[in-house]
Amino acid sequence: MATDDEIFAKLCRLIQPFNTADVKLEKNTDIAADLNIDSVSVMDFVMEVEDEFDIDIPLNILGETRTLSDLIDVVKARVKGA
Amino acid sequence: MNNKNDLAPTIRANKSLPHNLGKFATLLEGLEYAARGETGFNFYSPRGALQNVVPFKDLRDRAVETAAKLNSMNLQRGDRVAIVAVTSPDFLAAFFACQYVGLIPCPMPCSMNIGGKEAYIMRLKGMMDSAQVNVALTPDDAFDVVSQACERADVAQCLTFSQLDELPQSKQTFQPFGPEEVAYIQYSSGSTSRPKGVLITQKSIMSNAGGILRHGLKLTQEDRAFSWLPLYHDMGLVGFCLAPMLGQVSVDYLATSAFARRPLLWLKIMSDNGCTISYSPSFGYDLACRRVKQAAGDFDLSKWRVAGIGGDMVRADVLNAFSETFAESSFDSDAFLPSYGMAEATLAVTFAALDEPILVDHVDRAHCKISRRAVPAVKSNSADPQNVRSFVACGRPLAGHQVEIRGDTGEVLSDREIGHVFIKGPSLMGGYYDNDAASCEVFHSNGWMATGDMGYQIDEQLVITGRSKDLILHNGRNIWPQDIEWAVERLDGLRAGDAAAFALDKECGSEQIAVLVQCRLGDEGQREDFRRSVSSIVHQHSGVECEVVLVPPRSLPFTSSGKLSRAGAKALLISGEIFAGVAASLVPSTRMRTGSLAEGAAAEAAE
Repeated sequence: MATDDEIFAKLCRLIQPFNTADVKLEKNTDIAADLNIDSVSVMDFVMEVEDEFDIDIPLNILGETRTLSDLIDVVKARVKGA
Repeated sequence: MNNKNDLAPTIRANKSLPHNLGKFATLLEGLEYAARGETGFNFYSPRGALQNVVPFKDLRDRAVETAAKLNSMNLQRGDRVAIVAVTSPDFLAAFFACQYVGLIPCPMPCSMNIGGKEAYIMRLKGMMDSAQVNVALTPDDAFDVVSQACERADVAQCLTFSQLDELPQSKQTFQPFGPEEVAYIQYSSGSTSRPKGVLITQKSIMSNAGGILRHGLKLTQEDRAFSWLPLYHDMGLVGFCLAPMLGQVSVDYLATSAFARRPLLWLKIMSDNGCTISYSPSFGYDLACRRVKQAAGDFDLSKWRVAGIGGDMVRADVLNAFSETFAESSFDSDAFLPSYGMAEATLAVTFAALDEPILVDHVDRAHCKISRRAVPAVKSNSADPQNVRSFVACGRPLAGHQVEIRGDTGEVLSDREIGHVFIKGPSLMGGYYDNDAASCEVFHSNGWMATGDMGYQIDEQLVITGRSKDLILHNGRNIWPQDIEWAVERLDGLRAGDAAAFALDKECGSEQIAVLVQCRLGDEGQREDFRRSVSSIVHQHSGVECEVVLVPPRSLPFTSSGKLSRAGAKALLISGEIFAGVAASLVPSTRMRTGSLAEGAAAEAAE
């Protein structure tokens, strides 16, 4: 099982192409708001995350996911559940 | 019901059932007829695997069972049933079950933005309040959120589809909706804060579906449809569920959220199944184009004969790029079919002619603005965006329907004069549910309805030049500026009238959204935090990025009647006047930010 920091590093690599303003990424970075990504690009990023970790992230879980830290928790839970 | 190991999609054309292009009196008459054949609906997983196959016969059987269960719930005829419209057999079974027992289904959105839970609950609550919903049905995984919306909207019963499935079947006789009764309530109109339910009658849906099948698409038995459009939206529900069912053709579905993640699955499934009809707003064609990396030739799109465009302004540049990219997949650019419609007309109002190239009208920009006439541009100028605006014509009205362009005082205008688009015909809604004031506003004398859109006609072809004044179009979605403002104004320290939202840069289709917020903070750090919270709340509520511009208190303009003037605020932003009182330290960065905005705005101001 990957550690939080390993997952964080992977997420940072995946989100970098969408981070057009080159915002410094922290665990408490608000994915949509701080990076100013529109809803379509967010889904593109979500797909990258799903493919990287081989998981499915349902919409209702996305609704409660705001920061990279939240997303780390989602990844951990989904990987375990799989 | 299905053996998952050797699942095959429903067939293309019914073997022996004669084709009937929507000549039925009610939705149920259409379903009962379709159930006599082999065609039906197919549902694909987020990764493109076939998951559920539901021939119309199975859909009818499931709807009948579900209807008997609904009948055990002590509901009154005409009660409203909110159904979260996931792209699944459960939603469709519940929708048609309501038809059997005379309950009014209200398809509800299931979309949620990242971090957008609270906004979604508020959106559902607004719709439930407006329809005075009696019971809500939801997929299992959305129960938590939907039941919270129910609590806030005082909806006594909230059931998951599986809970509904466990109810006993009542022996009570069905009382289906008759030809003179209602069919469903559509919520894709009006703002989130004050949603308006469009009441669709059996007459309007039968008239519109018939028009779509016979006039717009000229459907044949050899057709097969594909859709990733949300089923709570009129284009998804009417265009790709009700109309195909009423024409007995099979549909392959991919959930909207799956499309957003993997847009190329759209083309892959169409290619695999030889689909002939699919619709998308311009942004969907754009997305597919941008996401395809090398393998555009891997698809076989040669059977695709209707590539419909609706839901936003038709963008010729996007369509050209798509044609070029997918030419090696044998995509035929004559398949593009511009059309125009709205939920208040059930769905469709006009269709361009099939098998003809799209008609792009290049008009002189200055004439548009000054004389409000769409005068064809001089040839030598036609490539110059400074002088020329290009519009795609959306075709002629469905049989039995009329379109008129009217001036500000109601006079009917002639060809190429730009004015308000009015429509008339049997597809128009019965009215807004329980909202006479809103209905009176749009319905004029002799059955004419104001669409709120602006446009002109050329030889009976309708050209739309702009949507209702303030409406923002973003990736095929209608976003009401009121919703953004309302969300922002709920932040601590703000009050009503402190925010103004509007779109800039309409020219290239994807609109840039600007939000001006009156800010009383002086400290630069606090201002930055504040800007961040505004951006965050807009995201949660609307899922869009926006430029947040902080402006001094009392700098937003109001109309003489005391309403916020968005057009005024936009003009101030463009002219730079609104920054007069902004702390000097902020001006350079703000100016830079608005530099790109101002360009788009300048282009638009020339309209």
